[in-house]
Amino acid sequence: MTTLNSNATEQQSPTFGFWVWLMAPERRGALLITPAIVLLFAMNILPLMWSFGLSFFRYRANRLNPPEFLGWDNMFRNYEKVTSSSAIWDSFQTTAIIVAGSVTLQVIIGFLLALMFAREFPFRKILLSMVLTPMMLSFVAVGVFFKFFYEPSFGLLSQAIRVFTGEPYILLGTKWGSIWGIIIADAWMWSPFVMLLVLAGLVSVPKYLYEAADIDRASWFRRFRTITFPYIKSLLLLAVLFRTIETFKLFDLVYIITEGGPGSATETLSVYVYRQGFQYFRTSDASALGYILLFVVIVLTNLYLYVVNRRSEEL
Amino acid sequence: MSFISKTMSAVAAGGIALSALTGMSMSSALAKDIVIKMAAPDWGPTRLMQDMATKQYKAKSGNNVTLEIDFIPWPSFYERVAASLSSGEKKYQMVVSDSQWLGAFIEGGHFAKLNTYIDADPELQALMKDLHPALIKAYSTYPTGADAYYGFPQMPDSYPTWYRKDLFCNAKEQAAYKAKYSRTLPCTYDDWKDVDWKDWKNIGSFFVRAKGEALGDGVAENDFYGTAYQAGKGYDFSSCQINSFIWQWGGDIWDEKNEPTGQAEGVVNSPSNVEAFQAYLDILPNSPPIWKTGQMDIFAVQDQFMQGNVAAVIDWAGLADPVLDASKSKVHDKVAFALNPGKRRADGSINRVAQIGGQPFVLTTWNDDEVMKEALDIVKWFLSTPVQKQFVEGGFLSGLQSVMAWDGHDAARPWNRAHREVIGELKDFWRIPEFFELLTQQQQEFDKAITGQISAKEALDNIAEFQQSLLEDAGRIK
Repeated sequence: MTTLNSNATEQQSPTFGFWVWLMAPERRGALLITPAIVLLFAMNILPLMWSFGLSFFRYRANRLNPPEFLGWDNMFRNYEKVTSSSAIWDSFQTTAIIVAGSVTLQVIIGFLLALMFAREFPFRKILLSMVLTPMMLSFVAVGVFFKFFYEPSFGLLSQAIRVFTGEPYILLGTKWGSIWGIIIADAWMWSPFVMLLVLAGLVSVPKYLYEAADIDRASWFRRFRTITFPYIKSLLLLAVLFRTIETFKLFDLVYIITEGGPGSATETLSVYVYRQGFQYFRTSDASALGYILLFVVIVLTNLYLYVVNRRSEEL
Repeated sequence: MSFISKTMSAVAAGGIALSALTGMSMSSALAKDIVIKMAAPDWGPTRLMQDMATKQYKAKSGNNVTLEIDFIPWPSFYERVAASLSSGEKKYQMVVSDSQWLGAFIEGGHFAKLNTYIDADPELQALMKDLHPALIKAYSTYPTGADAYYGFPQMPDSYPTWYRKDLFCNAKEQAAYKAKYSRTLPCTYDDWKDVDWKDWKNIGSFFVRAKGEALGDGVAENDFYGTAYQAGKGYDFSSCQINSFIWQWGGDIWDEKNEPTGQAEGVVNSPSNVEAFQAYLDILPNSPPIWKTGQMDIFAVQDQFMQGNVAAVIDWAGLADPVLDASKSKVHDKVAFALNPGKRRADGSINRVAQIGGQPFVLTTWNDDEVMKEALDIVKWFLSTPVQKQFVEGGFLSGLQSVMAWDGHDAARPWNRAHREVIGELKDFWRIPEFFELLTQQQQEFDKAITGQISAKEALDNIAEFQQSLLEDAGRIK
């Protein structure tokens, strides 16, 4: 009877057999990651492919006209157009200045903070938590804070300088003032990140090396050059690369503090792409520009991954 | 009464009560829950509309109709609405739209043409007759002035002068001003009717005081400035003021009414436009120093005035209500309102043509007949005379001529008279689908001139070149 019933069940439900086949151990792994892959494809890959496709079309999202293919002979026209525009090179230049200024400042401040926090002193943990706070804040909060901080009538910066000069100080009134305003805000927010990475390197230096250096009466600089720096250099490089990639994409702080102004003096690449895409509605141009930006970021990311791999080999 | 008749009466009464209850439950069972979702900027006029609708609105149809406003911050309002409409999500049944967006969203197939509904509804016809013609032209018609109607005024707006009566009516200040400029420092509403841009510039220069210098009957607590008007890079926060200068100087912006023969080159950068823009720039140095950053937008102007840093400003009436609020404004008891300044004509009269402000609200094309009817009922309710009077008493403005003629209109808020008197002289931007590109580039070039990077002529030349190219590409200039 039992055998008969079992045979009957197998014959009645062919889906059961499919289910057993599907859940076989060799297929289970693929099955488990399928939802994530589908989601990733729908939310990331598809829009990326779509926008990449649009970069070879003539299309504006605010027009009823459907996308129109530029033709095989002319398919890179959007790329040629955006790269031949003087405005885009101005934006590249502005972005490069902000990246160079901000990352340099972040490395200097982060490094000095790490040296300070590598030692034990009273209230160290409380102070460390406070120093880490800026990088935990949202970009909008930091942007609005600095916008008010720089405000010429009631901003703290202007009030402080006024004590000495008797005049309100208008940092955001000039190109270089505005660039410095953004660099300072970005460096204030992200120096703690550099500090964290450098600090991780500093605490990993074996104490006996410093004791040996003390016995050899090595100078402070020699101790730093021969003991400390070799331990932190790859972490420092990692911090520089990571922050370079992030600052290269900087949008939020710029848009909130200066909106790319005065005029277009602080229009970074991201702000430029946003304006092309969502204010001028040059959807195809913005897509092409987005992929140029992506290419630069990919190059930087590969550098980053190379450094990460090299560090893991060292360890 | 016999037992039988008492029983019959009781049964009859019970029956009536039962049938009444049944009827009620049947009608409530038939009533539908309908939510009219409306995209709107987050500010006083839309907040008040939501509040009034929540508390007062009962649909005549018997349906449970709720007006649910999606409040969007001003700076990202256009991008959010454009993204929603372009994506096809069909989220909103109604939209509060800036008048210059009409072309883009009508051509995009998002805003519904209302002629059929108006023709079939005597109440809507009466409403249209009562609306001010300038508002119908700017808020409802597309193309501008055509017999195709799309919107109704949610909050009509204009920019009056906001001024410190404690300073302008101060005897010492008046004497000093008279001695310096041989003109009367305007104190009353009528005095301000004679203020042109030359006077405005003198007033601005006259009231610039350093901290500690005499001001009125006391001394300036902080650096004090004479005048301010919008000069911000964002959205339309300089164009609205600059357009007024251009129109008053006799120039024009590219006008779609002249399409396809009207040109941008030679019109946008005409000598009179350059002169008008230069006049605008020349007055800016009397403003609080934020103007040098290109961030003196309508909110910064409002804030500087409420902080007591400026003697007189020009800003939208829709932003004026907080100025009277003692908890928000240092000048709540010192403020008065008057007409905006203008350019003096040869005959001595003043040309006050200015940019129209405010917004219409429109209905979207994907509404089915039932939703359309309910949405139009909300329009009729909101634009009914009693509700509009409440709206005016709440601190905002009405587009109904009957409400503007009402005795309580001018008394409801101190800027209402100026709005009523200037509304017929207001004009609008271009309202074509390309408007946002035109606006964005124009704002950027104006900002460069405001922050001293280029001259007025260079800015207008750049704008004219861009507009000519864009409008030729769009087939609007042949």
